[in-house]
Amino acid sequence: MSSGARWAVALVLLGGSIVLGVVSDDQQILTIAIQVFMLSALASSWNILGGFAGQISLGHAVFFGLGALVTREMWLGGSALALAILTAVVATTVVAAVIGVPLLRFRDIYFAIGTLAVGVAVFLTVGNIRPGISSLPVDALREYTFTGPYFLTLGVLVVTVIVSVLLKNSKLGLGMMAVRDDEEAAGASGVGPLRHKLSAFVISAALAALAGATFAYFSVSYYPNFPFSVVWTFEAITVVFIGGLGTIVGPIVGSAFFVILRDTLPSNIQEFQVVLFGVLFILVVLLLPGGLVEGGQRLLGSLTRSQAGRAPDAKTGETKEGKEL
Amino acid sequence: MTQLILQSAVSGLLVGGMYGLVALGLALAFGVLKVLNVAHGELLMLGGYASFFAFSLWGVDPFLSLPIVFVVLFLFGVLLYQVLFKYVTRFDIENRIKNSLLISFGLVLVLQALAVRFFTADERTISTSYSSEAITVGVVRIPVIRLAGFVVAVIATVALEWMLNHTRFGRAVRATAEDWTRAALTGVDVKWVYMIAFGISAGLAGIAGAMISFGYAVSPSIGLGWTLKALIVVVLAGLGSMRGILIAGMFLGLTEALAAVWVGGAYREVVALVVFLIVMSFRPQGFFGRARV
Amino acid sequence: MRKRTLLVLLAVLAMILAACSSEGGDGTTTTADTGGEETTTTADGEDTSTTTGGEEEPSGEAPASIKIGAVVPLTGPFAGGGAQVERGYRYGVDAINEAGGVFVEEYGVAIPLELDLRDDASDPNQTTAIMEELGGEDIVAYLGGFGSPVHAAGTAIAERNQIAYLGVATALQALHEQGYEYYFSPFPKSPDIAVSVFELLDTIPEDIRPSRVGIFAETTDWGAELGALWEEAAQQFGYEVVLHETYAPGSTDFTDIILQAQAQDVEVLLSLPTPPDGFAMYQQMGELGWKAPFNLVVRAADVPTWNDLGAAGEGVLLSAGWHPALGFEGIEEMNQRHIDEEGRPADPVVGGSYSLVQILADAIERAGTLEHRAVRDAIAETDLMTVAGQITFREDGTSPITNPLMQRIGGGVELVWPAESATQELVYPAN
Repeated sequence: MSSGARWAVALVLLGGSIVLGVVSDDQQILTIAIQVFMLSALASSWNILGGFAGQISLGHAVFFGLGALVTREMWLGGSALALAILTAVVATTVVAAVIGVPLLRFRDIYFAIGTLAVGVAVFLTVGNIRPGISSLPVDALREYTFTGPYFLTLGVLVVTVIVSVLLKNSKLGLGMMAVRDDEEAAGASGVGPLRHKLSAFVISAALAALAGATFAYFSVSYYPNFPFSVVWTFEAITVVFIGGLGTIVGPIVGSAFFVILRDTLPSNIQEFQVVLFGVLFILVVLLLPGGLVEGGQRLLGSLTRSQAGRAPDAKTGETKEGKEL
Repeated sequence: MTQLILQSAVSGLLVGGMYGLVALGLALAFGVLKVLNVAHGELLMLGGYASFFAFSLWGVDPFLSLPIVFVVLFLFGVLLYQVLFKYVTRFDIENRIKNSLLISFGLVLVLQALAVRFFTADERTISTSYSSEAITVGVVRIPVIRLAGFVVAVIATVALEWMLNHTRFGRAVRATAEDWTRAALTGVDVKWVYMIAFGISAGLAGIAGAMISFGYAVSPSIGLGWTLKALIVVVLAGLGSMRGILIAGMFLGLTEALAAVWVGGAYREVVALVVFLIVMSFRPQGFFGRARV
Repeated sequence: MRKRTLLVLLAVLAMILAACSSEGGDGTTTTADTGGEETTTTADGEDTSTTTGGEEEPSGEAPASIKIGAVVPLTGPFAGGGAQVERGYRYGVDAINEAGGVFVEEYGVAIPLELDLRDDASDPNQTTAIMEELGGEDIVAYLGGFGSPVHAAGTAIAERNQIAYLGVATALQALHEQGYEYYFSPFPKSPDIAVSVFELLDTIPEDIRPSRVGIFAETTDWGAELGALWEEAAQQFGYEVVLHETYAPGSTDFTDIILQAQAQDVEVLLSLPTPPDGFAMYQQMGELGWKAPFNLVVRAADVPTWNDLGAAGEGVLLSAGWHPALGFEGIEEMNQRHIDEEGRPADPVVGGSYSLVQILADAIERAGTLEHRAVRDAIAETDLMTVAGQITFREDGTSPITNPLMQRIGGGVELVWPAESATQELVYPAN
């Protein structure tokens, strides 16, 4: 797709989402949409670190959780929502910068396991410190509507996507990708690996905190350690890979696929649904190594090419075509 | 107080033996195939159920069923390799890790859900006539089944070491782990080595699960917790180092136990994770791994 | 090559699907075949349920069933308790339907109950998601699961959706202090549990009566609540708390706190572990060769598989709110069915769960409509004899009911308190 067409599609989708939020009061549809937006935002934020800079973090939920924790505490404590979210993002950014330096010295699997260890340690600690459930007060429950969380989550997703697009086309983003593709070579050619990795880590964390803030605003009741659960990290990674690692739309496509598949099957056949999802997931990983986006593009590409009278290239799977989007 | 510390230390070391046993299979698969199987804990869970059902349906003592559990899980591992992991080993090393992580994550979902379906989600545990017996050494009580679990972990480690160092197959495994292309050139059937190594890895998970089914409890969701411990032990020991696994496991168990005494039970695992991160910072190659270039 | 993988995987998938679907909806829905695929008249029901009752003549067409949404942990750490809750609801709904259903004045006919029961995997965060889902499906009320975390998560959703929520197997008092209007729980709460155990202890002859109390509390809201209340009650009754230890739920090793209890010579050990934690705790006591002479294990010991522990679990007390020997009206039939189907008398949580269905059916009948607010108001006015005794509700949604204590003796569950309906005398010491 040309760049213009892509923007047109994006604007149409955004416009459609806004219209949906204004006209619909169907609780179920809005809930699913909010979940898709939230997971998309979280997955996109992970994608900056994992997809652009190539650092597979298994502790991403720490930042999602921090964003949620600070936002919720301040907001329910009486602060304005905007102030609460801002504080949450700033606080998370600081934390990420501080723990990022030692963590990013680890590489590959060591980084993955190290971040996992941090994630689990923080999860357990928050559980110890904040054992009680966090529920909205009765008055807030009475007045609760889905419209507010819907637009906040949509807004956060838009911000995340814009940051991703800008980053991808910036010198900083190119540096991240250089580090991803070959850290030594990047270092030798003057791209500071640690500086770029740390930038990716911090930007990714700040955006995750923003996604976490939407969780805090949307959720009626949850245990404060839940947003810190490794489940969020796994879901984010899962949808990024299903959609397409390192792409802009991949995390969104993956999230929509994941949430809709999960939520449209009734929960009373849940085991079946999990089995189905697990098998589908394995199939995607094995058969579409570039994710749904690349798969779709290959399909699209082979269609247009065969229309043009050329045989589809069986090897397109190995090219980086999907990464362009 | 001394008694508390001594007893806790002993318990920690014995639990650590289990961590080591769980990590052994994970390390084998990672070292040889370069696949990171996060469904290792689910294989352990299946082993636990195999042992539980052998005991509750046919009254087979869990120690007697150990070889059977090993064989059953070995075969299951071979099947998993043929159906899934074989395709992962076609990628280069970096993509192998990434793809195996993802595929085994899918496997986690599938195996857990199927276990719930067929075994129900109830906690199961085996209680034998000797479950509560213990040997008293001074002020310390050593529960018989914990000790037995530890002994099994030691035997498994020694047997694996011996196999790797003193058999033809072991040499082939080591050569493959070192550099599979060179191994293939010198006539090693790499595919065969992969399959058997993965089978052994699954079998070891099964044995660990069997020990857990009567030292602890099995339920469909126990897998990830044990996988996490095993991952930490593997990294702590140093990637590719088989012999340090047991010691790293004991280190983790001991750290947790002492953390519980000195910091409080609620922070047992947190402290152990922090210690792990600190150790990693100073020795990224692990206790026994060779320094990386 | 890829094609072959695909084929193999598809074959596996097909097998799995066949395996899953052959066993169907897991018996979770009582009327009709399987839940979810039910095509009850959503739109019609919506309309009728919003028109308030009170008119004399039947208005609109009666729905085919009165749908009740239940979210119960059938899997995960609370599964052993959730299975009992599920049985209680199922038996309760069957009993009501066998008697012809619930007469709803608004429609002028008796309508059968339909239970849409779903599994939250013991995960409070799934509880909320599923309750949202059920909230969109025209249910008349929610029935809750097992264990305080899932109830705590669920009640807020019920409150927002303004649909009544009935739950047992949760003792969390704090949940009743939020000002919720839609949450009702006829179950002993932490203050009841805190006191009744000392009342029981006071019945032990003075010469052998224990005095040194130890508390193992998990680091959860309920752990903090009940832990503090036990401390208070101990003081009030003249017992000495010599140990109060906390641990994170999900721990696998309790050596340190067990040894401290031993070192402090604890005689009365009070705890409220989740089933997995409770199993590990008592297993390790067995291994360490120490057990207090008096053990109250709230929650974990409710589960029938507690007997797997053998000697290590023998003699512990449980506080599950109900026992068949309480002898209330209707227990006999219910108990008989339990014996026929499960081969043992009704498990403790089955009774309380069963009573919730009775309470709900009675409230709907009195409300004469399926409208949410009217049903809620009728529940608040409840004064009904159930299998769990005479039930009324206080302003905060709790019920004044006695807290029976049971003891696991010889593989069975015996009622030891209150003394007048006890099936057996307290076995003390039990180590």
